[in-house]
Amino acid sequence: MYRWFWSFLHPYRFLMAGALVLTVFTSALGMVNPSLTGILVDKVVLGRDFKLLWVLLGLLLGATVIRMALRYLFVMSFEHVSQRLVKNLREHLFTRIQHLDFAYFDRTRTGDLMSLMTSDLDMCRHMISWVTYQSFENALVFVFSVSVLFTIHAGLTAILLLATPFIGVSAYYLIKEVRPQFSLVRAQFSKLNSVVQENIAGNRVVKAFVREEEELRKFRAENDEYRNRNLEASRVWGKYIPLIEGFSGLLMVIMVLGGGWLILEHQMTVGSLVVFTGLVWALTQPLRMSGWLINDLQRFLASLERLFELSRVESSILAPEHPRLGTGPTRGKFEFRGVDFAYGEQLVLQGISFTVESGQTVGIIGPTGSGKSTLMRLLARFQDPTVGQVLLDGTDLRQWPVEEVRRSVGYAMQDVFLFSDTLEGNLVFGRPQATVEQAIVAAKQAQAHEFIAKLEDGYDTIVGERGIGLSGGQRQRVALARLLLADPPVMVLDDTTSAVDLETEEHLQQTMRHLHGQKTVFIVAHRISTIAHADLILVLQEGRLTQSGRHEDLIQQPGWYRDVHFHQLGGEADPQGATVGA
Amino acid sequence: MEKPTRKGPLLARNKFDVDEELSEEFNIHAVRRILAYLGPYRGMVSFAVVLMIVASFMALLPPWLIQQALDVALPKGDVGYLVELSLAILVTVVVGAGALYFRIRVMNRIGQNVIHNLRGDIFARLQELPFSYFDSRPHGKILIRVVNYVNSLSDLLSNGLINLIADLFSLVFIVGFMLVLDLRLTLICLTVLPVLFAAILLMQRRQRMAFQDLSRKQSNLNAYLHESLSGIKITQSFAREAETESIFGRVGEAWRSSWMKAVGIMFATWPVIEILSVFGVCLVYVAVVDWFRDAISVGVIVAFVGYIWRFWAPINTIGQFYTSLVQSAAYLERIFETIDEPSAIVDAPGALEVAKVRGEVEFRSVDFSYDTGAPVLRALSFHVHPGQTIALVGATGAGKTTIVNLLSRFYSPSAGVLLLDGVPLDQFLLSSLRRHVGVMSQDNFLFSGTIADNIRYGKLEATDAEIEAAARAIHAHDFIEKLPEGYNTPVSERGLRLSMGQRQLISFARALLADPAILILDEATSSVDTETERLVQRGLAHLLDGRTSFVIAHRLSTIQNADRIFVIDEGKIVEEGKHRELLARGGAYSRLNGAGGR
Repeated sequence: MYRWFWSFLHPYRFLMAGALVLTVFTSALGMVNPSLTGILVDKVVLGRDFKLLWVLLGLLLGATVIRMALRYLFVMSFEHVSQRLVKNLREHLFTRIQHLDFAYFDRTRTGDLMSLMTSDLDMCRHMISWVTYQSFENALVFVFSVSVLFTIHAGLTAILLLATPFIGVSAYYLIKEVRPQFSLVRAQFSKLNSVVQENIAGNRVVKAFVREEEELRKFRAENDEYRNRNLEASRVWGKYIPLIEGFSGLLMVIMVLGGGWLILEHQMTVGSLVVFTGLVWALTQPLRMSGWLINDLQRFLASLERLFELSRVESSILAPEHPRLGTGPTRGKFEFRGVDFAYGEQLVLQGISFTVESGQTVGIIGPTGSGKSTLMRLLARFQDPTVGQVLLDGTDLRQWPVEEVRRSVGYAMQDVFLFSDTLEGNLVFGRPQATVEQAIVAAKQAQAHEFIAKLEDGYDTIVGERGIGLSGGQRQRVALARLLLADPPVMVLDDTTSAVDLETEEHLQQTMRHLHGQKTVFIVAHRISTIAHADLILVLQEGRLTQSGRHEDLIQQPGWYRDVHFHQLGGEADPQGATVGA
Repeated sequence: MEKPTRKGPLLARNKFDVDEELSEEFNIHAVRRILAYLGPYRGMVSFAVVLMIVASFMALLPPWLIQQALDVALPKGDVGYLVELSLAILVTVVVGAGALYFRIRVMNRIGQNVIHNLRGDIFARLQELPFSYFDSRPHGKILIRVVNYVNSLSDLLSNGLINLIADLFSLVFIVGFMLVLDLRLTLICLTVLPVLFAAILLMQRRQRMAFQDLSRKQSNLNAYLHESLSGIKITQSFAREAETESIFGRVGEAWRSSWMKAVGIMFATWPVIEILSVFGVCLVYVAVVDWFRDAISVGVIVAFVGYIWRFWAPINTIGQFYTSLVQSAAYLERIFETIDEPSAIVDAPGALEVAKVRGEVEFRSVDFSYDTGAPVLRALSFHVHPGQTIALVGATGAGKTTIVNLLSRFYSPSAGVLLLDGVPLDQFLLSSLRRHVGVMSQDNFLFSGTIADNIRYGKLEATDAEIEAAARAIHAHDFIEKLPEGYNTPVSERGLRLSMGQRQLISFARALLADPAILILDEATSSVDTETERLVQRGLAHLLDGRTSFVIAHRLSTIQNADRIFVIDEGKIVEEGKHRELLARGGAYSRLNGAGGR
């Protein structure tokens, strides 16, 4: 974990070192002012050497200005390093998150990721920009004052240092006890974040069920717990920090008693003790600060642990060791060979085998929960089969570079997600260099142009997160246009027309038919009419491929397909039960 | 055809890279409001201040005690007095540590409680805000207000404020001591203050703007982070990771440079104060040596200069407090902006809690438009008897969803009135109204928890048996039972391992359990396969029985069996009647039907 963090600090090690050297200079310059004022009192005020006044005052101001300039420089250097480091760390984590598999996002709450990427990262910033140089400065002052005191009177200094083991023991217990507390605080913060995040994301459901009270109850529980965790942690450090401060104060008692005894025994002069009293502050201050700094350090480590954990999450979708080198765009020939897929214990797909030729259209149909979407996820390698192989152009998907697969297989999901951007921005998401004209062509193909053109701002209309301002059918059509514009050789349409009215769907099907022969198209649908024209129809039931073939053949076979066909056809045969274009 | 325009400008803020607006002036009002949150803890705050004063006093004693030891006890060889003095120091140390112990406890208690209460208020407010609030800004920007901004206030409110009070006290003490020592020197020394104030004022404006800019950039960074995490599957499916990362890098860079600018100004304050304080010391020496000559004793000079050094320490902490106040003011403004956000839909005075409704619905010439958009509904009037099933049919964007949203008062009509059981809707308590109007929409958001928890959301006190009964009624029981952990299977926001259809069934069960008098099905069955829909249909038929219901669907036999079908076009009812009648009429309905009929 430390090595991992160090790797981010590494590029800035010279800057850090430089800043630390500046810290030394600044601390040393800090000694100039007291000595100058000493000379001022001795020589000018008492010695009546008035010429010296202006020289000394000039030096005093000059030293202060230089010291302040240096201080500003090193403080800004630490800020600079911390900002760079946090930025790199954030981008590194973000990149890692970007490449994690769907399974990870299925089980991870957005709120948890948000708190990692915001406040846990901020702990790293605080560590570099504050804790490091404070620790260094204090250690420096401590070492400096101890060595000065040793030259004056080694015996008394040794006695003074007798108090430090107590401080060490307290510090040890502080470290030991407070760290788990801070981890709990961080974990609770994450929970709080998730509750709020879900509440915001699900605000429509909350309102529809009048569950504001219930939401407040849930929130209050986490909010209370967060406060309590913080107070609990503060009880722990609030116990040890006064102890450390107290032991540091003890140094003064030891000094007066021990020093007094030494003077009375003629082991030491009064003058030496005067110097001691002057410097004892420099000795105790770093010791007192140590408690606070240790506290901050532990807070940082608790966060670092969580960030490190995030950085260690491995995607189950591994890039191939020897990727098949790009031979231009894929042809889109797919083959499933004895594919099983399981989520843990739960077998979702079992023994799936079929072949799809380049340019064919495949229809997939089956009851809710039969594994259709899972099958589609395998095509774009969002998941790998548990058993068996999926081959694209005769090569196992796992041998292809992941990017290449994703670029070849365009996937329109059931759960439409639009970004809070303009409609045009959303359309060109899959092909950022596309022109407005191309976007409009795609929108026309997807039957989205008509409604977009009617919007006040047209293609410049900004849609909310998840496309909130649009109806379900409109969102689906925008998502479809986005896919058409990206123009991949393979298209997977996972129930993408469910919320579209029948008339529009009829048009969409014509668009799809045009693609026949040019692209391999997978269509998941509920209505047989949507897929009746497909070259191959796959019927999934409880994770098994129970029927496959062309529409004309399947309606001859007894089975699920024929039953559903007759049910849906029944609607057509009887004008009373006709489906309604709504 | 007229434009069924939806929210345009309303959504203008809804983008991660659009800076939010903040007022130009430093908002002292926000600061005063946050101080009000300290009100309930007045006693604790006073206690903490007393502790601070005790602690400062205890810290001032040892130098004097040591002086006594050096000047009195040691020269005399008075061992007894030496021991007494040591014991006295010990006492100051112990009392000081004790004061610190209690101060830490008290301050944390105050700080944590205040942010706890503030967060409670902002969250409670969020619950009252209408959809449009959530629709008009990225969710990440709302989230950060509730969580991160509030947190960043804790230190300001506990340590910052109490240190400020204690420092003001010591400042007064120090000036008092200085005045006692020498009036003229004090006045000379204080001449530096106006320069300091001028310098601070000069920097203050830039500093405030820098911090406001920082808070905007942070908001943007969070919004983008949130959005890209939510939309990650889309990013992956288009293999757009690289672009997303580069945008993220850009937004992060904007934040970074904004941060450096802000702290660059902030850290300049301290050198200014330090240099001015040294300048003050120089002035005193010049005065003593050059102007007053022998009029002032050496002892006074040494003591006076000693106090000047001390004088600037509190000034510096006060300056730091001011800096963090400026920094927090930007956050505070955001927080209070949310708390103050007016809810368009509030309970009218004297609104009633109604235990039971019959379900008679009437629209009387209702107009509606979204904010600035073109009208969506115009002079819409209809009357529905209790228990009737109404199908709303029409092209996308015709206004069907708007009609049902008005019914549960997610929006208020621009003109006209809606009545439930003959009573205008706004005379119902909102919570009471919504309890009677159940909505099943396409948006089947599930909360993280188990399946049972999600169904129970419809009726919190429901027993396991009731949950199972609801699940059975809409035919979700079979698939739930097949899951390894059955009803206790955990699901998440986006519905782990459940297909869209399955999630929809769960949200049906949730709505069924709520048992509302009026039920709205807004394209609720679109993701269910035909067979399941057929099963659900039976459950629905049983569910719709005895309830007033509005059904929006593209293909559902419920439409054919509906008591009345409203064909909506351009925000008006263009046809109305039963399925057969409308088909026979050969109007808009039969055209829609023909298009689908193949």
